[in-house]
Amino acid sequence: MKKYILISSVILLLFSCNENVAVVNKSAENVAAKTATTNISAASSSESIFALADTFQTQNKQNIVLASLAGKPTLIGMIFTNCSYACPKIVAQMKNIANKLKSDKKDANFVLVSFDSKRDNPAQLKMFASMMNLDNSWILLHGSEQAVRTLSVLLNVQFEKDAEGNFSHSNTITVLDKNGVLTFQKEGLEADKEETVDKIKNL
Amino acid sequence: MKTIFTLLLFVCCTHGIGQTEANIATGKKMAKINGGEFKTFYVSKTDKPIIVQPFLMDECAVTNVEFLEFVKANPAWSRSKVKRLFADSNYLKQWNSDFDIGKSNKSIYNSPVVNVSWFAAVAYCAWKNKRLPTLAEWELAGNVPPKNVKYTSVTNYIMQWYEKPALPVLPNVKTTYCNTYGLYDMHGLIWEWTFDFNSFINTGDSRTTANDNSNLFCAGASINVTNREDYAAFLRYGFRGSLRGNYCISSLGFRCVKNIPSNKF
Repeated sequence: MKKYILISSVILLLFSCNENVAVVNKSAENVAAKTATTNISAASSSESIFALADTFQTQNKQNIVLASLAGKPTLIGMIFTNCSYACPKIVAQMKNIANKLKSDKKDANFVLVSFDSKRDNPAQLKMFASMMNLDNSWILLHGSEQAVRTLSVLLNVQFEKDAEGNFSHSNTITVLDKNGVLTFQKEGLEADKEETVDKIKNL
Repeated sequence: MKTIFTLLLFVCCTHGIGQTEANIATGKKMAKINGGEFKTFYVSKTDKPIIVQPFLMDECAVTNVEFLEFVKANPAWSRSKVKRLFADSNYLKQWNSDFDIGKSNKSIYNSPVVNVSWFAAVAYCAWKNKRLPTLAEWELAGNVPPKNVKYTSVTNYIMQWYEKPALPVLPNVKTTYCNTYGLYDMHGLIWEWTFDFNSFINTGDSRTTANDNSNLFCAGASINVTNREDYAAFLRYGFRGSLRGNYCISSLGFRCVKNIPSNKF
């Protein structure tokens, strides 16, 4: 704990003239709750994530850019298919949200992007989709290491590859509006779906 | 005393240049970094190390003059054109205008370019047919000792720098120390972007996620850390963890790396 305080305070001292960093350090104190909600603050951009020009491949081997998702809200999660604990939970959570939206006749994109550029090729993603009972409305994406890292930076998703080729990562579900602007994020494996459903309905 | 010390470092470094490899294609000298095993200071003893292949690294950080060339060739990265998604409003604020560092800013021409976002750094490296170093690569390259200079502890040297407030005018590149790889200013001048800067999960959010690092900063659990003495590494990782890709900060710059074809290791 002492070390954490030292780190925070030294960083605050060093960079106290920069509002961005100061905000992040302060906010660290407020996150004791099990799930955290991020409403995008003024520090972030209100510009569209669809500006990302990289090409991804779907589970059906189609090349797409994120901009092709424009027109309806998008629910997006980042996972890898060899993940045994957190990722199935993220997918289950997103499925709950998707089912609720479908029964309420709200149209949206449901997108999973893999951290695992090496192993999660379109075929592997297709297998994962059928294993998780994801219907054709779901888009599972494979991208280059650069594309996936860039997307993770845009979505403020942290991830790290270990020596075995597996990943530790933050468990974040993101909502983009129909123009690709990041509007809502839910963090944590036990997040309540209602709030996310309501946010998407209002887009 | 300090001046003499700096001077001494400088002399040592200029003598060491022969060991760095000139990169004719890009004009900037690059040093060969041996590959090796890398373990972040916070992993447990049983975790396997990351294997890093040998690579080439810019001998010093990218300067304002060098970055200006990039912006001239890629106007989408000029101050007035860049998207806020990719760089916040501090982007290149030390310059006079889009394509002009400014005559009154001569003192920073050869200083590291700072107030550049991660996205801008990635784009610059790609333009040079290079890339940003991974965190493992940067740490492997940066953690070797200074050349021909005796310190009681490198960590102490780094900590002394970390404690100092940022200088009003950033000194030129190659004005601090040179390490045994022939890399200048790895510590002591600026902080540097890494490709996977967002890999260390230590923000407040970490308590909400399932990952191995979450117990690091809570009470006695930090005893798991392999090297508890390395406060300097703690600070670096903490700083990286507080960044976002579009942040432009007055003490944060970058240098590029390049792969070595595997038949030339």
